[in-house]
Formats: sequence, C-alpha cells, structure tokens
Amino acid sequence: MSRGLRADAMARRAEFSARYGAAVSPSLPRQLSRYLLPAVLLALLAAGLWRVDFSPERIWNGLGKLGFILSFMVPPHPGNLLGLFIRSLGETVAIAFLGTLLGAIMALPLGVLAARNVIPSWIFRFSMRRGLDVLRGVDTLIWALIFINVVGLGPFAGILAIMVSDIGSFGKLYSEAIEASDKKPVEGIRAAGGSELHALWYGVLPQVFPVMVSQVLYFFESNTRSATIIGIVGAGGIGLHLADQIRLNEWQTVAFIVLMILVTVGIIDFCSTRLRFALIGKGRLSG
Amino acid sequence: MLVFGRAGLRMLKLEHVTRLYGATTAVDDVSLDVARGQMVAVIGPSGAGKSTLLRMINGLARPTGGRVLFEGSDVSGLQGKALRAWRARCAMIFQQFNLVGRLDVVTNVLMGRLAHRPIVTTLAGWFAEEDRLMAVAALDRLGLGAQLAQRAETLSGGQQQRVAIARALVQEPDIILADEPVASLDPANTRSVMQALRAINRDQGITVLVNLHDVDLAREWCDRVIGLRAGRVVFDDAPTALTGAATTELYGLERLAAE
Repeated sequence: MSRGLRADAMARRAEFSARYGAAVSPSLPRQLSRYLLPAVLLALLAAGLWRVDFSPERIWNGLGKLGFILSFMVPPHPGNLLGLFIRSLGETVAIAFLGTLLGAIMALPLGVLAARNVIPSWIFRFSMRRGLDVLRGVDTLIWALIFINVVGLGPFAGILAIMVSDIGSFGKLYSEAIEASDKKPVEGIRAAGGSELHALWYGVLPQVFPVMVSQVLYFFESNTRSATIIGIVGAGGIGLHLADQIRLNEWQTVAFIVLMILVTVGIIDFCSTRLRFALIGKGRLSG
Repeated sequence: MLVFGRAGLRMLKLEHVTRLYGATTAVDDVSLDVARGQMVAVIGPSGAGKSTLLRMINGLARPTGGRVLFEGSDVSGLQGKALRAWRARCAMIFQQFNLVGRLDVVTNVLMGRLAHRPIVTTLAGWFAEEDRLMAVAALDRLGLGAQLAQRAETLSGGQQQRVAIARALVQEPDIILADEPVASLDPANTRSVMQALRAINRDQGITVLVNLHDVDLAREWCDRVIGLRAGRVVFDDAPTALTGAATTELYGLERLAAE
C-alpha cells in the first residue's frame, strides 16, 4: 500500500522533472560545485608541501634522532632542582590564572560595547572590533617581549602579555556571543518597562554567561601552555628552566619538566570541566 | 475494548512494556494491539508516558521490561543494521519537527531515503533520481512544491511540520509515529497537519499513532483513542466512548476541581 508515493512519483516523472527541474536532477556544475572547495584545499595542501620540500625521507631520518633523544629521556629525573621546578611551575600557573582572569574581566565592557545589538553604530563597532583585533593579532609571545622591556624581566611581564592578548580574544568572543543571543528575553524585559541596562543585565547576560565561562576556563588551560613558552623569553615561570635543560642536553630533566606540565594541564582541565558543569548545569553545556 | 477482525491484521503488539528512568516509571506495563491501517490517538496529561511509549516503538528508547512486536517479530532489542531497517519502516514525526534547519527542504526530505541506500553515495550527497522524484512528489502532495529549494529554517512551523511528514512519507513506512505533531502549531496549521496525517492513513493504509494532548483532536481525527495516565493505559476505545467523565478521569480533573 505504501508504494503509492513511489508509483505516483515515477508515473508523473516528466511532469515533476519539468516543474522542479533542479531538485530532481541537479545540474552537473551544481553537483561539481559541492566538491570544488575540498578540491581547492587539497590542491593548496599539495602545493604547500611541495614548496617546503616535504619529503617522507627526512621525516624518517629525523625519527631516528627523535628515538635517540627519547631514549635519553628515560627515566625522567629532576636532578636536584625539584623544589625550584615546583616553584616555577606554580609561577607559570599563577601567570596564566592572573593573566586570564584580568583579561576576562577587562574584556567584559569592551565585548559588550562591540556587540551590534548593544551599540548599533557602525563606525563605533568597527573601531572597537579593529582595536580588539590589534590586541589579539599580536601573539602573546610578542607581547611578552614588549612587556619585558616595559616592566622588566619576570612574571609581571608574563601576566600583562597574557592579559592584553586575551582582552582581544575575549572581547571578540563575548561580542559574538551577545550578538547570537536570543532577542525574545530582551523584548520581555523591555515590554515590562525595563531599561536598556536591565535588558542587557537580565536578558542577555544570563544567556551568554555559560559561553563566557567555558571560554575563560578553556583559555586558562591553554594559557598555562602559553605561559610555559613566554617563560623561555624571560617572562617568568617554568619555561626558562625547560629551555635551559634542553640547551644543556639534560634530557632526563627535560622529560621530567614536560611530565610536570602535562600533569598540571591535566589537573586544570579536570577541574575546569567540573567547575563548568557546576556553574552551567550538565544539560545546557552546548547552549 | 475494541474487537479486531482477523488476527493477522494485528501488526503492532506491545507486551507488558515498561520503562523506568531512575526511580520514576515512565511507562508501566503497557500491552496493546494495533491493527494495520488504524489511526490511533494516544492522549493523556503531560508526563503520562506518551512520548516514551512512541520512542520505544521506534527504538529511540529501550524498554526496561516487556517487548514490542511487529508482525510477530521482536523489534525492541534490535541493534545496528536491523535497527536502522526497522526505523525506516516506522517513521517518526516530532513536536519540534527535528529538521536540519540549515539544509534545504528537498534535502531534508531525502533524509527519509538514507536507510534505503548505501552509506557512501548518500554521504557524498548523491541520491538516485527515483529518490529525488519521490521527495518532490511528497512535497508536491503536501503543497510545498514552491518551497523545496529554501532552507528549512526559513519556513513557518506548519510548513516545517509538513516537510517532516514528507520526510516520513518517502521512507515508505508501515507505521507513522507522530509525537505531539501539532502542539507547537496554530489552529489552521494544526488542521492541515492532522488532515495530511489522516489522508496518508486513508489513502495509503499506513498505520498512524499520534500523541495528542487535545482530546477534541483525538475525537475528530482518529479511529481509536488510548488514554495514558501515569504510564498506564486507563482508556482504550472508540472516540465516541470518550465521554466527559472519561476525560475528567484521564486528566485527573476531579481533583483539580476539588482543590
């Protein structure tokens, strides 16, 4: 009995083809266009690999050396510097934490002002956005090199570097989350006589809060890794010792430091997931 | 109770089906026979277990106890390919339409053909001309010929639900399960969606199980009404037997009135 639709569709084939042409038999260019973008990307990838002299042979030979280094790493050992490493790693985490937190707070007003549904002015929004782009476009490492010259070597430069670069990123992410928020709650508050500030505070912020929290927690974890790198240029933390030990070819110590960083990032990831669930509620993480 | 004709017509059979969610019992020892070609309303207050019941038939939820039989074979424990094949025969329509908003209407309808075709060609976006013809024929029937190139999310609720019905139709199903299909729609769209379901049921003999919270709709459109309350069947009869007293009991209104 349910063959009705199929029989009908086939019987009226000519009629449907004429009426709904493209939907029935998509034209060849249209079908090919689906594969155009992947094809272009593949071509770019191939061209790029060719340009940088990609050779499996070099990877293979390199692998031998990598294996050599790995064999020197076993067993990981801190030497007699364990206390120093722990203190430095603590400093790295502190740099990441303070930098992320300061950035997240300072980005709040900027992100709100850069959102289209808050400030409709095109010129204002454009200049806000480009300003944030400048902060974000310069990498944390470059900011670290700049701040070392401004405030001197040490963790303070690292905190400033992470903060400045994160203001740019958070500002952009906040403003996008605000723009993507549902307008209905805002309308509800406005209709009840609330001011624009009320609408923002009670209508928009509760919606974007979960997104903000997830982003900030993710950035904290990612910044812990960045803080290791900026330590290498002298902005405080474990990075300096890591670079030193690599230069000294002390691979067992290098391995130990890397493991310390891995464990720390793992712990942060674990805690931030718990925290996110606690703050947002399990079912609503995606929203 | 309704008396059925020949035993062979009992296509769908639920035997002591139970579903627990933690400590709550969503569906409590439900046994039913549904004959081929019936249009059955499942009514009851929110939380009565209507959705869970339908989802267990399609396999979106698994019974904690009991089993679901289709033409004599157990479909409640199916896995993998067999489960997908069963789902293709047992189309589902949802309250929130469950379309892919960013895909165009005709592609949404073609989703109803996925279970019938090899996975590689369908993932590459290639559908047989026959599939496409069926999709446009279904849309044409439901009065959506003009919208088939639009993104599904740009359509009104009533139109989206009709796209979902078209998707169900091209599955060439034996049963259509509709879970509160009109709960988000205005009266005019409610009418057009109920009419479409009834037409499919009459013209193609497809069995329809529809969850409704509106008793009048059940009376108007269906052959048989099953009332659920707290996961149990408390009413199962022709719509004409659904008197005011039966409704009051089903929805527990007597207690409301007393409060």
